[in-house]
Amino acid sequence: MTKFLLISEDSEKERIIKEVFPSDEVIVSVEETLIFDILKVEEPDIVIVDGDIDSLDLKHICRKIKHYPVIILLILGEKEHNKDVTHNANLFIKMPIDKKLLAATVDSSLKTRLSLLRMAKSNQELARSLYQLNVLYNTSSQLAGTLDKDKLIKIMIEGIEKSLNFELSCTLMFRSEREPVLIINSLYKVSDRLLEALKLRAILSYKSLLSDPPFDIKIGNLKIEKNIKHNIQEYDFSVLRFDNMFAPISLNDEFFGFTEIYREKPFSTEDATCFQTLVQQVTIPLQSASFTQELKATNRKLEKLERLKSEFISIVSHELRTPLTAIKNAMDIILSGKAGDMTENIEKFVSMGKRNAIRLSGIINDLLDISKIEAGKMDFKFELIHIEPVIEYVKNNLTEVAKEKNLTIKYTPSGDDVEIYGDSNRLEQVLTNLVSNAIKFTPDAGEIDITSKVVNARELQYDHCFEDDIKKLQGNYLQVCVEDHGIGIERKDLNHVFDKFAQIENSLSRKVGGSGLGLPIARQLMESHNGAIWCDSEINKGSRFYFVIPVANDKSNFVMIKKQLIQKARSNGTTLAVIKIKSTNDVIENLMKENNLLNKTYMANSLIEKDGSMTSLSLILMDGDKPSAEFLKKKIDSVVEQNKDLYGECDIMYSYEIEGDTHEKDSYSR
Amino acid sequence: MKKILIVDDEQDIVESLKFVLEVSGFVCYTAYNGEDGLKLAKEIMPDLIILDVMMPKINGYKISRLLKYDNKYKDIPIIMVTARSQLEDKMIGEETGVNEYITKPFELDDIVKKVQEYLGESGEA
Repeated sequence: MTKFLLISEDSEKERIIKEVFPSDEVIVSVEETLIFDILKVEEPDIVIVDGDIDSLDLKHICRKIKHYPVIILLILGEKEHNKDVTHNANLFIKMPIDKKLLAATVDSSLKTRLSLLRMAKSNQELARSLYQLNVLYNTSSQLAGTLDKDKLIKIMIEGIEKSLNFELSCTLMFRSEREPVLIINSLYKVSDRLLEALKLRAILSYKSLLSDPPFDIKIGNLKIEKNIKHNIQEYDFSVLRFDNMFAPISLNDEFFGFTEIYREKPFSTEDATCFQTLVQQVTIPLQSASFTQELKATNRKLEKLERLKSEFISIVSHELRTPLTAIKNAMDIILSGKAGDMTENIEKFVSMGKRNAIRLSGIINDLLDISKIEAGKMDFKFELIHIEPVIEYVKNNLTEVAKEKNLTIKYTPSGDDVEIYGDSNRLEQVLTNLVSNAIKFTPDAGEIDITSKVVNARELQYDHCFEDDIKKLQGNYLQVCVEDHGIGIERKDLNHVFDKFAQIENSLSRKVGGSGLGLPIARQLMESHNGAIWCDSEINKGSRFYFVIPVANDKSNFVMIKKQLIQKARSNGTTLAVIKIKSTNDVIENLMKENNLLNKTYMANSLIEKDGSMTSLSLILMDGDKPSAEFLKKKIDSVVEQNKDLYGECDIMYSYEIEGDTHEKDSYSR
Repeated sequence: MKKILIVDDEQDIVESLKFVLEVSGFVCYTAYNGEDGLKLAKEIMPDLIILDVMMPKINGYKISRLLKYDNKYKDIPIIMVTARSQLEDKMIGEETGVNEYITKPFELDDIVKKVQEYLGESGEA
């Protein structure tokens, strides 16, 4: 049925129109105020304006009707009309009225109007879908940015609200395993009895969703969080009559909660799809969040254990050392003869006691060392050094011991003048261990040879059981070799000599004693120097123990040096980072200058080239605020991720300096 | 005779130190906790103090600080003895004015030599 509004005083015209459209509704009016009320309330499809009307300002009326979605049909009669009147009409018909023409004109314009309306509606729907899609996209990118359960749920609810405009939503989530929370987002206040009803409903839903609920939710332990938008009104049970949608938040077998929304205006199928998608989107981040939560808890436990272990070791070592010192002191006094004369036997047995006290103290030191290294708490003092003085020192130190067995220690330096980056005390420790072992295992009147020379990693020769340690080496190394002419080691035992406590079943090794930790410590110390240690041996002919340390300032050894720089910077308490330098800590700047590592200042953005590759810097420092640092970190991460073969070996550390000297460390290496 | 004060809660260590130092001709006074040690130090005005770090009541650093910031006692040399060997401990020692720093386990001979560096070959004044 079509609705007509006829603006005319002429009853003849009214009659004609009613005759042409017998089954349609025709409203007639000439009252100006009434006309616009009818337009508003009755929403006619067509307004027929009689051009011969005298009582109205047609020009003005037509202009105003134009604002309504109607077709204006002007009947042109006797009167002359200026352009303003005719301009605002859609259709014209001349007097006398041709009934057929009138019917046809109205019919065709109605059809046009209908299709226009349809188009407007589908346009609106399209816009709506586009908006929902946009919300979906925004929500998903927001979800990717956090691993906080509360935030994830909040983002999800916000997304649903934006795209679906609900009046009320109820979301159940678990902050931790035993902490259920019901989050209620509502346009208006929620009455107490509605709240109770929602709680009950949530509990019932929870129980019906899971066949075997892992955790019992009761009214008492269900925490409520209310977010009310407007306090002006209160919802009661009437809300429950609204259209509603429900979706569990779960992934495979894992259940995270559910969400239910209520809206006065019914939901469409598209709305349902949008709702489901939004809820589904949150599940994977929620799962990661759960994992992260578990990981963090485990980490905290581990950290505590680690701390306990360190404390335990430091206490034990103190407690063990003190009585040991007393024992040693007492025996020293007896042996010095100050306490009185002693027989040959007394001297023999007290000496035996002292020797073993010293051995025990060595074992305690070894234990302390290995636990320190394993906990990453070993303090290193890395600096550029030459190896010759270190070897000479150890040689001189052990010459006396060697003499007791009639052994000689020979050192042949290669004459290569190279520097290494190392801690001389620790290198002394390694070398002392190797030479002591050599002394122990060489029969009387033998010789121990120490040699040092520069070698390239490619030229190294080793038993394949050491491959894992050595094949990662690149570039030039300083190699030190300690060779004895003792009993040797069987091939199958070669690798095990560096295992903790794995004393080789060998009568002699038992006889000579030791903690069994010397070589494992040496191996760890070499690792800290970015070097390696290994051995080869021939039964009854002797063994050769080798260790290598990267030659400093060797361009081919860039990665190694960089690692050392990071270590050095760490021990200086400075943080290194990827990202640009503006005005950076002097310590780092000097460090870089010394090693010719960075002589350019890069702006943050020029670091990443237009084609997505990265300026080939191995170490970059940053200076700036946290947000821009994080932004660039993400960018660099993605570049590295995409070019794994190129940057796979590359160490990247991030940290920011916030306001002067406070360091917020957030560094990690790849 | 030069007076040496030994402060350590480990009686056996104190005993052995006392023995070797007395054999070398010094007079030794002993205390087994920080409080007694501090009291005794002010009472007898020793020529040198051997001090342990970890002690009940008042620890070695505190004693050292109290004495070194007092004009009356600041010239008494202090040899600190401890099981700790961490760098930072050494730094605290320096900051509190400790003259020497020896880590356990130590050789008795080393301590005697150190004492003799400060007080001369024998305890005779």
